Amino acid sequence: MSKRIMVVDDSRLVRVQLEDVLKGTDYEIAAYCRSGEDAIAQYEEVKPDLVTMDIIMQGMDGLDASEVILKKHPDARIVMVSSLAYDDTFERAKSIGAKGFVDKPFHKEQLLKVFEQALC
Amino acid sequence: MNTAMTKEELERILDEAVQDVTECTAGVRLHQGNQSPGEDLCTVQITFDKGFHTSLTLCADTGLLYRMASNSFHEESVSPEDLEEFSKEYFNVLCGRIARAMFQATQIPAHFSPPVFYHGRYEPEGREIQFILTYSNEHFGGVQFIHHVPCSDGDGVTSGKE
Repeated sequence: MSKRIMVVDDSRLVRVQLEDVLKGTDYEIAAYCRSGEDAIAQYEEVKPDLVTMDIIMQGMDGLDASEVILKKHPDARIVMVSSLAYDDTFERAKSIGAKGFVDKPFHKEQLLKVFEQALC
Repeated sequence: MNTAMTKEELERILDEAVQDVTECTAGVRLHQGNQSPGEDLCTVQITFDKGFHTSLTLCADTGLLYRMASNSFHEESVSPEDLEEFSKEYFNVLCGRIARAMFQATQIPAHFSPPVFYHGRYEPEGREIQFILTYSNEHFGGVQFIHHVPCSDGDGVTSGKE
């Protein structure tokens, strides 16, 4: 059975790139949210197996949105997918409870490896 | 204000990021050269608001951005909205790569604001140009990456470290 992914990113391009990369794998995109606020609102209804979360977005950023989701749903599995990938951001993501970090531009092997680890 | 990085280091970081991210994201090869964008152009700007108080501006021929967006979306025809989406995401990824390289060189984390897109040329107020890198693709046009710093206080600041 496919694992259902909720993509949170203010760019439709990232959704297209993820669809490309996930073609022929055991993952399917179940929902797409363009903001942190939208992700918080949709999480309960979608109940995804995994969330990919951008960090830099208009309004609430991805780290704050992840924190809100994880407070309410501690079992949520969130992987940050962002161009802002270095130490202080990694640490904040880790302290919030994110399960992994993928830097943009992402590659298929790297993405699938992080997804697999996050779902263990 | 301290000098955190030389202009040459920053130029090298920017050049590596441009080559790598452009090919990986948009499947287009850019070559450094003198072909400035023409009259029909778009601008994307990102301001670094933590670590380094600078800004980076991309100024590109609209035709080149359309080609890059078309490659990325795998669609022959790209709407103006998708052009804007592509341009912002491309520059966002590029600046992320630059911020990471700057962090590796200085240990200063540099965060930045979401990119802002403009039709035509836009120049930020209260800032001056430190350097411009010009690239082109022989088929689709030219692009400039412009590094702005806060207006100089005459101390030779290169990258506006906090």
